[in-house]
Amino acid sequence: MAFLPILRTRLPRQCRLSLRTFASESSTTVPASSINNPYQVFDRTAKRLQKDRAVSRDTGVRSRTVDYVRDEVADRMMERLMDIKRKFDTIVDLGSGPGHFSKLLEPEKTRKVVMIESSEQTLNRDPDEDFDVEVERLHADEEKLLDIVPCNSQEAIVSCLSLQWINDLPGILVQIREALQPDGLFLAAVFGGDTLFELRTSLQLAEMDREGGISPHVSPMTDTKDISNLLSRAGFNLLTVDVDEVKVGYPSMWELVEDLRDMGESNSVIGRRHFMHRDTLAAASAIYKELHGNEDGSIPATFQIIYMIGWKPAPTQPKPLERGTAQTNLKDVLE
Amino acid sequence: MQAAKTQATSTPLRQLALHSTTTCSAQASAYGKCILATYTDVKKDVCKEEFEKFGQCLRTSVC
Repeated sequence: MAFLPILRTRLPRQCRLSLRTFASESSTTVPASSINNPYQVFDRTAKRLQKDRAVSRDTGVRSRTVDYVRDEVADRMMERLMDIKRKFDTIVDLGSGPGHFSKLLEPEKTRKVVMIESSEQTLNRDPDEDFDVEVERLHADEEKLLDIVPCNSQEAIVSCLSLQWINDLPGILVQIREALQPDGLFLAAVFGGDTLFELRTSLQLAEMDREGGISPHVSPMTDTKDISNLLSRAGFNLLTVDVDEVKVGYPSMWELVEDLRDMGESNSVIGRRHFMHRDTLAAASAIYKELHGNEDGSIPATFQIIYMIGWKPAPTQPKPLERGTAQTNLKDVLE
Repeated sequence: MQAAKTQATSTPLRQLALHSTTTCSAQASAYGKCILATYTDVKKDVCKEEFEKFGQCLRTSVC
């Protein structure tokens, strides 16, 4: 990972000009390195603006209405934290949003929580009174974790439904491992590859039929089996990875898309199209209903959640014994 | 909330959302079924005829 920053600075600046196309959404400053850098998938500036706008829409009413997915997942993530018999002094919540997970923390588990979030308005949406523990809010880019916290400094880092917008996922996992103290805990939930497959397929079919081609509308997301590989590659120990699904029913595709926007989860893939033809949208809505719709006329949307737990290696951690050192014969046990 | 409600049906996109799922739901369903019947081999305009009926209905009701 170390060579990446060098690569970025050496790229010629002038190619940014030639990338300019129509005067559409001006937030899209496509990084000049995106062509050569495989780790640039998402437009982080656009993502930050989307989140800021989502929170300020209707003075936050809309944003609070669509908390249901994150609140549910935060709850399930908290069950996993409660299974860990350890009391922490400080927990870092990376990509905290307004604190869906942090709000559930209790004084018996931690003294303090540090929330890190790139969207300032999202970070400050909810007042301190909503939290049971001491809160510190850091407005910073989640991708540059080691610029914010020093190496070997944290007892626990958690992340609830935020890592899916990180460009360099292997890199952030390494940063998290570096930021942790030995035997430090990393616990996270991300959206997995099956998330919104209904929406993805409907839009693809609609675009194929109406326009004769497809473009990305739903992000690429991580597969379950990749997560465990990535965690061990980043140097975590004692891994636990499991998958869960949250299925939500909507009256139609339109409500789903609107709610996604209000969650700040709109498309921010680099090179995405900034508009969709009305015909294509209407076609996608019709296909969604026929292809995936429920019998009562509503439509389902699947959110696949991958939960992961990893520990920074430490000499005190339990390790497998060396081969052939067992004292008991397995045959005796089984008979 | 009331203000939000009146706005809810006034934007063009809301109009499209409303009519594509209510007024024109029969045509939408016919189009969807056509795609469903061919979804392993979708080409451009594979369900053109069905969509034209759906689109026609949308254009008359949205305006």
